[in-house]
Amino acid sequence: MKSFARLAYPYMFWISIFIVLPMLMIVFYAFSTQGNDVLTLQFTLDNFKRFFSDPIFPMVLYRSLKIAFMTTIICLAIGYPCAYLIAQMKEKDQTMMILLITLPMWINMLVRTYAWRGILMSTDLSSEIKVLIGMVYNFLPFMIIQIYTSLAKMDKSLLFAAHDLGANKIKTFLRITLPLSIPGVIAGITLVFLPAVSSFFIPILLGGGEYVLIGNLIENYFVASGDWNFGSAISLIMAVLIMASMFLTKKLDYGNKEG
Amino acid sequence: MMLNIKNYFKELNLKHKLFSKSYIIGTLLFFYLPIVYVVMFSFNESKSLTKFTGFSLKWYDKMLNDSTMLDAIYYTVVIAVIATIVSTIVGTIAAIGLSKSKKIVKELVLQVNNLPMMNPEIVTAIGLMLFFTSFSIKTGFMTLLLSHIAFCIPYVMLSVMPRLRQLDPNLAEAALDLGATPWQALTKVIVPLITPGIIAGALIAFTMSFDDFVISFFTTGPGVTNISIYVYTMYKRINPSINALSTLIIVVITIVLILVNAIPILKEKGRKKNVQIY
Amino acid sequence: MKKFIQIKNIVKDFDGQIVLKGINLDIYENEFVTLLGPSGCGKTTLLRILAGFLQQSDGQIFLDGKDLTGVEAYKRDINTVFQKYALFPHMNVYENIAFGLKIKKISKDVIEQKVNRMLSLVNLDGYAKRNVTMLSGGQQQRVAIARALVNEPEVLLLDEPLGALDSKLRKEMQLELKKIQQEVGITFIFVTHDQEEALTMSDKIVVMKDGEIQQIGSPTDIYNEPENEFVARFIGESNIIDGLMVEDYKVMFDDKVYDSVDYGFKPNENVDIVIRPEDIDIKEPNTGVLNGIVKSVLFKGVHYEIVVETVSGTSKTVKMHILKNHDRYNESAKQKISANDFTMDLEDVANITDAEIIARANAQAWDDKDEYVSLTKIEYDILNQSGKYAVTFKTSENTSITVTISVVEPKYVEDDKQGVGITAFDFYKTADEIKESMMLSTDLKMWANASAWDLEDDSNIEIHDVVYDFDAENISEGEFDITFATKGRVFKIHTTDAKLENQKVSLDFSAEDIHIMSKFGSY
Repeated sequence: MKSFARLAYPYMFWISIFIVLPMLMIVFYAFSTQGNDVLTLQFTLDNFKRFFSDPIFPMVLYRSLKIAFMTTIICLAIGYPCAYLIAQMKEKDQTMMILLITLPMWINMLVRTYAWRGILMSTDLSSEIKVLIGMVYNFLPFMIIQIYTSLAKMDKSLLFAAHDLGANKIKTFLRITLPLSIPGVIAGITLVFLPAVSSFFIPILLGGGEYVLIGNLIENYFVASGDWNFGSAISLIMAVLIMASMFLTKKLDYGNKEG
Repeated sequence: MMLNIKNYFKELNLKHKLFSKSYIIGTLLFFYLPIVYVVMFSFNESKSLTKFTGFSLKWYDKMLNDSTMLDAIYYTVVIAVIATIVSTIVGTIAAIGLSKSKKIVKELVLQVNNLPMMNPEIVTAIGLMLFFTSFSIKTGFMTLLLSHIAFCIPYVMLSVMPRLRQLDPNLAEAALDLGATPWQALTKVIVPLITPGIIAGALIAFTMSFDDFVISFFTTGPGVTNISIYVYTMYKRINPSINALSTLIIVVITIVLILVNAIPILKEKGRKKNVQIY
Repeated sequence: MKKFIQIKNIVKDFDGQIVLKGINLDIYENEFVTLLGPSGCGKTTLLRILAGFLQQSDGQIFLDGKDLTGVEAYKRDINTVFQKYALFPHMNVYENIAFGLKIKKISKDVIEQKVNRMLSLVNLDGYAKRNVTMLSGGQQQRVAIARALVNEPEVLLLDEPLGALDSKLRKEMQLELKKIQQEVGITFIFVTHDQEEALTMSDKIVVMKDGEIQQIGSPTDIYNEPENEFVARFIGESNIIDGLMVEDYKVMFDDKVYDSVDYGFKPNENVDIVIRPEDIDIKEPNTGVLNGIVKSVLFKGVHYEIVVETVSGTSKTVKMHILKNHDRYNESAKQKISANDFTMDLEDVANITDAEIIARANAQAWDDKDEYVSLTKIEYDILNQSGKYAVTFKTSENTSITVTISVVEPKYVEDDKQGVGITAFDFYKTADEIKESMMLSTDLKMWANASAWDLEDDSNIEIHDVVYDFDAENISEGEFDITFATKGRVFKIHTTDAKLENQKVSLDFSAEDIHIMSKFGSY
């Protein structure tokens, strides 16, 4: 079967060019200053110093994390009961409901966000709330589907067993359903938090440019001011932060499984 | 007394059901509100996005005369079609190769493969942008297409790999054993068996490409925009043609989804009829 | 007959792990060859190298004189029946069987003819349009065989093809496979770990272990003349005895010299002796070569498996004292307590623990609701010398009982000839405890602290027999003998005559029935 293994070689070449190399480029730019090329490269930490010396940048980072965190919490609070109720339905209704929830996702995210712009335009909500609504709207389906999947594949006989052993509905939920749905919750959290932190068109479309998040900073440094080195440094800081939080979440999940 | 308790529980149960229903309906309303809104205001007579003044088709007319918008639609569709075809073929071949590779190689490649899905899209996007410009590749249609292919492949593989894992590892060997060349074993045995995974992968790739904004925004060049970029650049002006375009997209997607979901049901019905006749 | 397949010094390693250590094997035309061995012995690897799915690390294979090295699997005139059949699930029975022929671009009507012939060869006429995933295991098996044979290969490889079938179907398929092989007249190479399957079907058996061939021979050769202990044990249940080759044709075990037909060993070489269970006859006492006692009789469907002990094991007899019920009642606390005197080995005194004393004395307390009450205090003062010592058990309510521990010099029984030591101690019990025991033999062993060990390496030896002649249901106060014994020399015998347990018999076998194997190369 060695001959089939060879089929993977071109792809290995492809990912080294289109995945590995671009990642290296970001690191390369983040640690050098403007005007350098590969030959005259000088290693520098200036971009990072700049990021942390001006309070505005950490503030934006904090704001991005805060709104992503709030989005995640709201999605969990709305999404869990919704997924739970769907999982309780008859099987046919379940598929129908999931279809209904996923259907809007087939329509361009920007188009849907643009629609919210019109709806929210006449209200006098703060930019932050408008952005929050946009984020919850866009990412809630991910949360519902992840939790629903983990609830739906749960062995129903466990619940009967728990009832049989004398646990009431609330106890059964707390002792059986909730712990077993944790992997789905974790997956949902990742799928909501990750795009929420880095999102930059939602604040633009709904915040009207007043509400700046880290994604907007990156866009700004790449598109408007053209300082790619600093933009790369910001991206790198964000990527490392996200990787670290994902790692922690995974560990949490793992610890949960161990216990 | 007994009866009272029973009634109480009945009432509680009823309340419970009522609450569940309204909760679900509320969530669905939240999801469909902007869609209804878009469709409604695409037929608005005035430019207002808050007041419906009267029915008109003028925004559809405007859309059809807006060459930038038509270009955006054209590029979106062309890029999505080519990217889907290429990424499906490349992703399937790569997945088959990986499934027969050594474990270390497989795991390493899959880890790297996951990077674009684990990372914020914007990071992948600027990485590709830096890569193209550093190597003096002129951004435009080609770079946009390459980027779309690049981010679609991992999704195709993600949908094909589980299918391959379910296959009996001896099937390819059985084909070779019966005289099939490796190519014949691939086309006559392996590919037909993983076709559902390939189709699912292609569907995901198409929608990812069709909807993509972040990566397209950073990797495209002058003169080449897709629908997402067009909507984004319009954000400052009020342009109800976007509502018309959105409505069109909603209609097309709804029809496609209905067809996709109806075909298996129709087929099933047909089969049942056949059985009855038989 | 010519050597059709020559396997020469085939070596295979996976990342440095050697799974085939130089296999040499000749296979003739029309032979039914079985590669037999436990899992991990390399038999499947060898088969996969033959099929061309794996490349050997070293060595060559010749098929009809042509070197197969580097010849791709799809260019070899060899077909395979896979363990889980590997039928193509997206094709029906007909399409599966026709697959190889279609690849060869044979005309449609010829394909149809050939496939139909195959379907009737494997008794699946009328199944052509069936979905293969809906067939039973046996039917899938037949399709797999037909799919391979339709290509008219020179060799058919079968990788444990009957493993997934139930035992009845498996027996049927064994006969059918053999029939098919004779009908098509090609070489079958069959891999299995089932020795019975190998013995019924094969012309030649290749026994493998750890990547090496242990023995090659006909089923009768392998069965009757195993070359080493591994082959003997793997091929079937057998009596394998440590013995000494005194000189050519003379072998000794259990102090007696027997005639044998084997020779060529060094004088006084240690050997393994194999005597097959069905080669031994059971006769009236003193009429055979060995006398013994029937220990067990087990009906195995066709024959009885009788175990006869010819040399008894090492034994130790102890006294069991049955005492009157001596529960103490503490009226104020409404608790009862009981414990027994017991005897212990001087050597054990140094390491004795409270828990062990409670267990040995069988000390327990309970209240009037029959709930157990824990013992909170144990008072004793045992010196490291023989004598009698008092021990008192107490509950928190001061319910107490005092019993006597007799510490005695260890008394072993050692049997140098068998290399076994055994010990056990007298003990005290009440009649109720005997009556209530659910597993009397095990309890007696525990109460007497009986144990046996190997004199050479101190390893534990199982106490095989617990002999007593009291009636446990109706026992009353008094003294009773209990004998603990290790297993002696036992022979397994397969016979159609039933015998009674404890019957005295004599065993008979001839010089030809004694198979001598070198210890060299066995494990």
